[in-house]
Amino acid sequence: MTMGLEKLILGSNAFEGVSYISRTQALHYMEHFAKEDNIVAILEAANSLGVRAFMCSNCPNIMAALQKFPKAGELSLLPVIPNAYEYAMEASEKGVLGAVLTKAKGFSMYQKVRLGLRALTKIKSVISKDVLDLLLELIHFELAGFEKYKLGGVVLHGQVTDLALSSGNPHILTIFQDLVRDSYEVEPILATHNFGVLLPQLIEWKIKIPVLGPLNQKGFMMRPSKDECEKLVEESGYTIIAKKVLAGGRLTPEEAFPYFQGKKVESFVCGIGSVPEAYHTFSVAKSFLKI
Amino acid sequence: MEEAKKVRIGIIGLGKLGILHTGLVNMIPRAELAGLADINRQLAKYIQQSGLKAPFFSDLGQMLGEVPLDAAIVCTPASANLGIAEKCIQAGLDVFIEKPLAHTFEAAKRIAALVSQKEVVHATGYLFAHMGLFKKAKSLLEANVIGAVHRFRSSMYTSEVFGRKKGWVYDRSQSGGGVVINVASHLLYLLHWYFGPVRSVFAQAKNIYLDVEDAASVIFECGRDVVGSLDTSWSVPGYRLPYIDVRVEGDNGTLELNNDYIKLYLYKSQKGFAKEWTTIYKIDLPVTSKFELGAEGLYEEDQDFVDCCLDRTSPAVTWQDGLEVQRLIEAIYRSAEGRAVVGLEEVE
Repeated sequence: MTMGLEKLILGSNAFEGVSYISRTQALHYMEHFAKEDNIVAILEAANSLGVRAFMCSNCPNIMAALQKFPKAGELSLLPVIPNAYEYAMEASEKGVLGAVLTKAKGFSMYQKVRLGLRALTKIKSVISKDVLDLLLELIHFELAGFEKYKLGGVVLHGQVTDLALSSGNPHILTIFQDLVRDSYEVEPILATHNFGVLLPQLIEWKIKIPVLGPLNQKGFMMRPSKDECEKLVEESGYTIIAKKVLAGGRLTPEEAFPYFQGKKVESFVCGIGSVPEAYHTFSVAKSFLKI
Repeated sequence: MEEAKKVRIGIIGLGKLGILHTGLVNMIPRAELAGLADINRQLAKYIQQSGLKAPFFSDLGQMLGEVPLDAAIVCTPASANLGIAEKCIQAGLDVFIEKPLAHTFEAAKRIAALVSQKEVVHATGYLFAHMGLFKKAKSLLEANVIGAVHRFRSSMYTSEVFGRKKGWVYDRSQSGGGVVINVASHLLYLLHWYFGPVRSVFAQAKNIYLDVEDAASVIFECGRDVVGSLDTSWSVPGYRLPYIDVRVEGDNGTLELNNDYIKLYLYKSQKGFAKEWTTIYKIDLPVTSKFELGAEGLYEEDQDFVDCCLDRTSPAVTWQDGLEVQRLIEAIYRSAEGRAVVGLEEVE
């Protein structure tokens, strides 16, 4: 079931100040995209090239940009949840459990009402710390900010997917899958930094769900190896979404996209750092991918 | 066919790093996650539902008594490390301790002494030793690509503390100090690895928000007439993750190292590197880990420990290395407090 999954997806790494190239670039992104108008400019550019999908976290600058972008209603949003960076920062002070519980207890009355009576009754279970209930509530909580937009899918953050994978825990993944399909009626997507390890495990667990993983001509972040990842792309029969397509900025679009010709990749997520880059990357992508 | 021997590992302390090591050990083919211990009883329910097969104990003694183990990975607040290390060594285990080795130099010395007469595999969690780019820089320095080193400048910054904070990390009695021991100790390990041994330090530290130091500046005098500096703070904006920068000057040119790349500038071509600029991006280095969780290098770190347990060899970062970093930390704290140069031989 991949209805509504767009071929080209705008990514939000640059908007969150992430660069794999240099500190100078990261700092530029942080400063530049702290102003939501600069994110809006890229949304506009992407939109003008027909890119209607946006994969993003709920960072304040991104949410503010969505508020300002006049065509936000036309976008197909793919929220990445939870905001792992926020939890990780909180965890240094409060521990992992403390960070999660703080977030859960932090539901304001307004949010509780918006989440509905179900959530209100579940708050007790949050406090009683049942991990699976907690997960359900946190997914609802994290998605609450996106409720006025059109969802094209919901992405489970790679850190959570990979933690579930390494703990040998299929339940977290199936709960996520069922909740997103049943409550939001869109596709759940698992992000991972361990594409070639996750896919065989999903096959063994019989969990059929789209997977978002690093795939690129350089082999950047392709674990356990580029060859194994490529073999899975061809043979697994899973819906695959490629990220790190430009290898963190080390490949030009002209170098990056020919690699995917003939490969069984459903969609491509491209982080964009400037308006010219948006025009360049998406034009080249469209040309090579024949969109 | 006989099944290959696995190292049965107990994880002690299930905070952020403990949880990551738990997942990583689970993914190492020749390791078996055999037990989990944390004094927080509340975690029992989470562990039960987490999918992990290993039993949970809120009493370390009980785990050591009931579960057959070969090794332990200790991820507790630094002040607990000595007591736990004593129990693990007494139980005959090989032991990995997350950095820093201890909250004080005295405790670190006692930990290192635990293995002085024993054939125990012991490791300290200084992650940089396992990261591809930092290993590459080490190999370039060892190969004398920039020639004899004269001088280095280094820094490590992160945006973490901008007001009062709770938690053991910010409590001197549990962590041993502030940004120097909790964050910059990683960089101190790197400097020790690249340029050590250090002969003396002169340091100044600054408390801005906390009772422990939020920033520090250090000048080093190393062997072979190398001088260097370090500046660190966890209270500067613009660093969403800890970021290091090391700039080294040598006879043949310079080497710049940071989280993202190594940049060489050579006065003439050397050892296969062109005259003037060469940049080696982390992205361009081959993927060496079979799995990643939390941070680059963590899987390799645990893999190294497991391999050494099986082969009875010495891990990349031993407790002796951990003790030397702790000596450096102690010298920095003494220097900052006394406002004087402190020789490392005085710290014993």
